[in-house]
Amino acid sequence: MRKHIANIKIDEEENEINLTPMLDVVFIMLIFFIVTASFLRESGLDTNRPDADQPQVLQDEEGAILVIIDGTDDIWIDNRIVDPRAVRANIERLHAEDPERPVVVQAASTSRAETLVTVMDASRQADIYNISIASGN
Amino acid sequence: MPMRDAVAETLQEEEAEINLTPMLDVVFIMLIFFIVTAVFVREPGIQVNRPEAVTAMIPNSGSIFIAVNAANEFWIDQRSVDLAGLGPVIERLRAQNPEGGVVIQADNEAQNEFVLAAMDAAKEAGITEVTLAAVVP
Repeated sequence: MRKHIANIKIDEEENEINLTPMLDVVFIMLIFFIVTASFLRESGLDTNRPDADQPQVLQDEEGAILVIIDGTDDIWIDNRIVDPRAVRANIERLHAEDPERPVVVQAASTSRAETLVTVMDASRQADIYNISIASGN
Repeated sequence: MPMRDAVAETLQEEEAEINLTPMLDVVFIMLIFFIVTAVFVREPGIQVNRPEAVTAMIPNSGSIFIAVNAANEFWIDQRSVDLAGLGPVIERLRAQNPEGGVVIQADNEAQNEFVLAAMDAAKEAGITEVTLAAVVP
């Protein structure tokens, strides 16, 4: 009987779990997740691409500032070729005439992405963030 | 007097065992935080020369990256795909991370036909947040 009680006492003492191995595992997982946490940040411009099957763009063209990029990367505003550096000034002038007008960029299929971004950037610099992108011919 | 010192020393030695439980709590909370915030971003697998834009900003969400390189090839999830294969890949990545938007990394020399096609593919997959990557010069 004496022995029995002693055994129980030893059992109770061993009931305290050793947390160290678990702590090791948790730390290793923590380090893994910190290292793999990719705070990948890509800057860019928001785009607004209307549905191809909606005639919305054609309707908007009446009231919108239409910027056309042709196949040779020339930028047309109001039927004139505009230098890429002057796009902002032109859009600002049209924006001042009627602040409600959105910008519609019509990019020809063979034009370069750089030109599209230039026009979008110029429009955003002129405080117009409502830019629709349409595909031209 | 020396007797008292000895008693004090024994007491201090007994208190030297640090209670790990509060640290374990903190470590667990950090672990959970990093697991929850871990977004496994799928990079497209190639580097492109992004156009420059002064107004470029960091979008709220962007976890699906589509690259269009100078040769007008689509790269997504470390693989080159053609236009027909773009939609299924976007939908698969969207199923893995439904909250992410699409970031299109277009090369300076990429043709807008393909950039707009990538936008349309993202739209068809039901993603409205499409960002065109650009770097602040």
